[in-house]
Amino acid sequence: MQTTHFQRDAVNGIRLHVFPTDRFKTTAISVFIGTLLQEQTVTPVALTPFVLRRGNATYPTTKQFREALDDLYGAGFGFDIYKRGDYQIVNFRMDVIQNEFASGEKLLQQGIEFLGETVTKPALEGGTFVKQYVEAEKHTVQKKLESIINDKGRYAAERCIEEMCKDEPYRLHPLGRTEDLEAVTPESLFASYQTWLSDSPMDIYVVGNTTLEEVKELVQRAFAANRQASGAEYRHSRQKKNVENVNRVIERMDVGQGKLNMGLRTSTTYADPSYAAALVYNGILGSFPHSKLFINVRERESLAYYAASRLDGHKGIITIQSGIEIDNYEKAVDIIEKQLESIRKGEISDLEMSQTKAMISNHLREINDSAYEMIGFDFNTVLSGKERTAEVLLQEVHEVDVSDIVQFAQTVQLDTIYFLRDRREG
Amino acid sequence: MQKHEYPRVKETVYSETLDNGLQVYVLPKEGFKKTFATFSTHYGSVDNCFAVGSEPPVRVPDGIAHFLEHKMFEEPEGDIFATFASNGASANAYTSFDRTVYLFSATDRIRENVTTLLNFVQNPYFTDENVNKEKGIIGQEIKMYADQPDWRVYFGLIEAMYHKHPVHIDIAGTVESISQITKETLYHCYRTFYHPQNMILFIVGGVNPEEMIELVRENQAGKTFEPQGEIQRLFEQEPEHVKEKVKTIHLPVSIPKCLFGIKEKDVGFSGQELLKRELTTKLLFDLLFSPSSRLYQALYDEKLITDSFGAEYNCSEQYSFSVIGGDTRDPDALVNRVREVIEEWKSSGIPEELFERTRRKKIGGFFRLLNSPEAIAGEFTKHRFRGTQLFDVLDMYEQITLQEAETRLKEHFDWEQLSVCVVKSE
Repeated sequence: MQTTHFQRDAVNGIRLHVFPTDRFKTTAISVFIGTLLQEQTVTPVALTPFVLRRGNATYPTTKQFREALDDLYGAGFGFDIYKRGDYQIVNFRMDVIQNEFASGEKLLQQGIEFLGETVTKPALEGGTFVKQYVEAEKHTVQKKLESIINDKGRYAAERCIEEMCKDEPYRLHPLGRTEDLEAVTPESLFASYQTWLSDSPMDIYVVGNTTLEEVKELVQRAFAANRQASGAEYRHSRQKKNVENVNRVIERMDVGQGKLNMGLRTSTTYADPSYAAALVYNGILGSFPHSKLFINVRERESLAYYAASRLDGHKGIITIQSGIEIDNYEKAVDIIEKQLESIRKGEISDLEMSQTKAMISNHLREINDSAYEMIGFDFNTVLSGKERTAEVLLQEVHEVDVSDIVQFAQTVQLDTIYFLRDRREG
Repeated sequence: MQKHEYPRVKETVYSETLDNGLQVYVLPKEGFKKTFATFSTHYGSVDNCFAVGSEPPVRVPDGIAHFLEHKMFEEPEGDIFATFASNGASANAYTSFDRTVYLFSATDRIRENVTTLLNFVQNPYFTDENVNKEKGIIGQEIKMYADQPDWRVYFGLIEAMYHKHPVHIDIAGTVESISQITKETLYHCYRTFYHPQNMILFIVGGVNPEEMIELVRENQAGKTFEPQGEIQRLFEQEPEHVKEKVKTIHLPVSIPKCLFGIKEKDVGFSGQELLKRELTTKLLFDLLFSPSSRLYQALYDEKLITDSFGAEYNCSEQYSFSVIGGDTRDPDALVNRVREVIEEWKSSGIPEELFERTRRKKIGGFFRLLNSPEAIAGEFTKHRFRGTQLFDVLDMYEQITLQEAETRLKEHFDWEQLSVCVVKSE
């Protein structure tokens, strides 16, 4: 398997990661800006990219801004805001088709310029953000936060985390808090934006038909020239909260199907040597159709359509989610707890082990076929401070044995059981 | 083996129709680790009444194509997911209106995985017991969708438009309809629609086309299929007018969801003609409704729409309809404003510059699609079953004229044919 080392450099405190390739029809550009997840800043930071997407200095109206993207053969532009461990990450993405498919137009150059300006030189009025944009986007973020409840599976997953981490910053939603939105003004948001832009670690990735030199020059012009240098880096606290009692939460709503979610704590995060064991543990437990949860909750008992687990490698928690007949709550909890217990006792067959490793290996190899997947994986390593290529992780996964999983399983503690159910008595 | 080159997009497709009627396509992707394969039958949720050759017509329970999809994964020796997992492949399947698709993606042991895919889909194993057990699982899947407002509003709209055509029937059926499914009805549908003549195998990724086609040829030569008469899909006459002008569904939501659209009276197009109608409408919709459109910006500023606003166009030989809308504080006002703006467009016409910009954007979008093996396989097969060609899309986008788009604008938006579906809290 070929190695996937990004070529790296830095310009004015912005870290660059470039992967030259002609494998794709488009060139992908991705910008990550991270800031500590905190009550005071979570809402303005979340609101910022929404306001930035309304216009930049060259294209100050939203219609001009979006038409400019359309003119670049419909360049893809988007952003995401998410939590990674202690951090709130804002990720801007853009992709443009390769110059050769666009009759030789310099789309990459124009793309980086456009993105750089959007992030560092927003549309302003009277030296601050445009009031109309700030007000409209406050409304948008508020509606987004309120609409979480519409998707019951997602709502239950987020409520479970909120209950589980109620004393930690991780309880915060990456889009912020509705109650903080009202007080935001164009001036307060602009001040917050300037601090965020200059004091947060910034990483820029480019995957496509280009070179590090070319990207460096473009980033210098488009990003670095408009931003104060800062030496900010990601730092992580590594404390695992000890669980004394399992927190059981039942919430009622007008639903037909019950949503059962569980949160488990582990003492392993992405940078730890035991991360590979955690990955295999999660695979055996619930991330595949051959996993214990799928087999036992769905196939053997027909209790659910989905029953799965997810590992959050930056926070070191595992979550389980399932949609069940409401009256089967106790039964489902019991079956899931039995699966946790069975792994703890090392009841893992050779077949489960080899299937799980084969599936994880497949996933790690597939990363190279998508520019954004490659970028996402590499950024994980940057964020955690542990440089590890997919190839190295693949090797580590290969070496995990039952005793490693059992050892890891001893650190896994069930913290919260959350159940969303109907309003009937019971 | 035939070779079809598409130099403008730098892709080559190899194909062969085997003696038993199976169509095999291979699209090699240089530099890709992953191979993605789909084995698809031209059989979906709308095919609930059919006759083969001179046999009498049969009406089968709603949701049976999807039920069959679930049941195919079970083999006498156990669940086929386990076999794929042993070879490091992720497998899955889905059922749509007009097709059922079985798929895997893998980075290793491609020969074994292709063989598994062919063999399990060509080896039905239904028992009274395993059929009954599946009813519990699918029952939970139906309940999950019943709680999802996005799904409900989408299907609610199609239900409001169509009286008879089975496109309005939920793909999974109902708990009631699937209770009537037996192993005999499953075998009957299986024999009818899983004949190789009705199926397409598509392989895309880092493979050698000759080797793949040879593998499939040998695999198929070892199996016998009775010759089968032509499948006639029987549909009751669908009245031209919509079934309901407005349909309201109550579910707990933070903000109403409103989708509306036009049921087209003029159907029966096929091949190039159908493709042209589809792409012209899609180009038109992008121009009218995308985030860079005049309408989008105006309605966003009026807080009538959110980021969830969008528009799509679905068409086949027998039905065609648009779906427009999203979350809104005021469904009536939204529909009225969209009607107003469209009427303005009808009288003002479409500026050349806007038309050309949108055309470029659609062309860029087509290149972006070619980055994704999943999207290529899905779209390629969809086009084949419909009698159109994926790789004609680029040329077709270049041929469409402004006048054709304007004609489509006037012809599609016949407000007599409008249905509206709203999901809101009580």
